[in-house]
Amino acid sequence: MESKWRKIWGLIGLLLLNFVNNVSSLSLTITKVDCVYEIVRSEGDIVSGNFVVVDHHIFWSSDHPGIDFSITSPGGGILHNLKGTSGDKFSFKAPRSGLYQFCFHNPLSTPETIAFYIHIGHIPNEHNLAKNEHLDPIIVKIAELREALEAVTTEQKYLKARDAVHRRTNESTKTRVIGYTVGEYILLTIASVLQVVYIRRLFSKSVGYNRI
Amino acid sequence: MSGNAELRRLVMFQAVLLVVLMLALSNAPVGDAIWLNVPPTGTKCVSEEIQSNVVVLSDYVVVSDDHGHVPTISAKVTSPYGNNLHHKENVTHGQFAFTTQEAGNYLACFWTDSHTRGAGEVSVNIEWKTGIAAKDWESVARKEKIEGVELELRKLEGAVEAIHENLLYLRDREAEMRTTSENTNARVAWFSIMSLGICIVVSGSQIWYLKRYFQKKKLI
Repeated sequence: MESKWRKIWGLIGLLLLNFVNNVSSLSLTITKVDCVYEIVRSEGDIVSGNFVVVDHHIFWSSDHPGIDFSITSPGGGILHNLKGTSGDKFSFKAPRSGLYQFCFHNPLSTPETIAFYIHIGHIPNEHNLAKNEHLDPIIVKIAELREALEAVTTEQKYLKARDAVHRRTNESTKTRVIGYTVGEYILLTIASVLQVVYIRRLFSKSVGYNRI
Repeated sequence: MSGNAELRRLVMFQAVLLVVLMLALSNAPVGDAIWLNVPPTGTKCVSEEIQSNVVVLSDYVVVSDDHGHVPTISAKVTSPYGNNLHHKENVTHGQFAFTTQEAGNYLACFWTDSHTRGAGEVSVNIEWKTGIAAKDWESVARKEKIEGVELELRKLEGAVEAIHENLLYLRDREAEMRTTSENTNARVAWFSIMSLGICIVVSGSQIWYLKRYFQKKKLI
């Protein structure tokens, strides 16, 4: 009898813990406006995530306006609005369930690649169950522990995206150093050879007139 | 012995009933996924940088609000070396699973077909799982006969291992970048000194050549 009830609660716990959503970190190339939608199944879920603009710092001049980011709740209200960023983290408690909209807006016409990660965490509590069911507190504790681990994973995705941007900057610097210095040497040599040729021509034309 | 088997069957039956009831009560579509809008012209691509030997599981479904005509899309998944991993045309749903052979950028592209063009943007529900999220815990539970709290703790252990692997990967990448930065730093110093040297050499040879030229032309 004891093991039978334990199995049932275990299975209920399994089902409830399946409500922890997880999405992999994806990159999207946006031209003007692009939106990603995500369904939040119950109100009170913690939605956390981050995004990093991958092409930043190499091709952006100092007066680039940045990317605008906004989160819209299913009721139409704007929960979060960031203007002119190159990457940020966000975290909020969902006021209601439904379809949430995460929009990126690119003010310029050059396409930008954005790596984003969105995680919706649900911890089962007494409100979500029917009246005659009982929630094992250890299941709630395990769900909270899982949410803490997911927070670490979210932070790691952010670090991974930033590391990718940093690597691109470094490799671009390396290429630029080599390219520009070799180009500089060649240009220097060409300029000095042209100088000598010009002086030769100057003197060979006027040697008879002894002008110089 | 048979009493135990009966009890187990009864529990499984009750669990299945519970699952069906819970799924029926939740109106949202099953699955954790993002929705994207595929434009009527052009392709919408999502990519991810994945290491090698990672399981990737994905499922995509076209979501339509008008009930008569469900638009169809085509999907294509390519590996970083250009190999075609999945290609389907004119479908409303599909799925693909593969284990990555190469580390790099994996690209999944969607576009609307010419038949259903003109319907505006098509919403696609994409479920994309890599690594530990793609692990089939049901088969692990069945094979090792664990369930309940022990299975949840096993999942936590898997998540911690994934975090540890990610940390090691980040540390290796940081070491690579540190090497590149130090190389670039040494190169900048060395190339600047060399540029000064080249400047001196070139101007010295200019002066030497011109002096020899003027002496030949008997101007000095």
